[in-house]
Amino acid sequence: MDPQKQVQALSDEYQGLQTEYSSLVSARQKLESQQQENKSVQKEFDSLADDASIYKLVGPVLLKQDTTEAKSTVDGRLEYIEKEIKRIEGSLKEIQEKSEGKKMEIMQIQSQMQQPAVQA
Amino acid sequence: MATGGQGQQIDLGSLSAQQLSQVKKQLDEEVQHLTNSYQNLRGAQQKFRDCVVSVKDGVAESVKDKALLVPLTSSLYVPGTLADTEHVLVDVGTGFYVEKTTDDAQKFYNGKIEELAKNIKDLENIVNGKANNLRVVEEVLRQKVLAGQQGGQAGVGAS
Repeated sequence: MDPQKQVQALSDEYQGLQTEYSSLVSARQKLESQQQENKSVQKEFDSLADDASIYKLVGPVLLKQDTTEAKSTVDGRLEYIEKEIKRIEGSLKEIQEKSEGKKMEIMQIQSQMQQPAVQA
Repeated sequence: MATGGQGQQIDLGSLSAQQLSQVKKQLDEEVQHLTNSYQNLRGAQQKFRDCVVSVKDGVAESVKDKALLVPLTSSLYVPGTLADTEHVLVDVGTGFYVEKTTDDAQKFYNGKIEELAKNIKDLENIVNGKANNLRVVEEVLRQKVLAGQQGGQAGVGAS
């Protein structure tokens, strides 16, 4: 195969990986801010008395909620967010390794292309 | 002259003018981003302060029997009075509202304000550090450009 085309294909793939990477980074950022918010809610709930009234916003209305139920909802959310963040971290690492490999391949082909040119 | 990066020190003098302007551009962006965050934090803090004032003045014994107008739409109001001057519902985030006494609500908001003040202070330090780095980079870049110009002129003079 023509090395020029090979490089082109590889750098396209590399670019694709980079886009994927940055979209995952912003997804992680969003999750982190949600985690922050939920953590502050959890902290607030922990300091509440057992008979405190908690309401949940459902559409435009406020529904009264059980304290323990509200607490477990927030705990569940935090657990889910944590799992999601871990998952995304994993994919980020994977993509980084892949793009590192692509970079190496591109550099290798480029130096191979240069060598015959010098000899000629 | 070196910027204290994350565990990595680079001698700025060894970089070319082009690389330096790249570093400067990156730092510019970072400072811009951090300044934005700083302003957002300030805005949020002000909102909480407004809440404290609202609870203090709007929901107190003194306004118990006073008539007030409740907005139904932006142009339609109905008269009403405050039924409960001791309790308010506070938005604690993620769609949850907690019933609190006015005192507790003020405490809650003051706690938030303090928390934000801490964040603002931390951020201030970071912004200052970055701005310092930026100044150093700019200074080195200026010297490089000046040296380059002088070198060019000397070359012209010699020929």
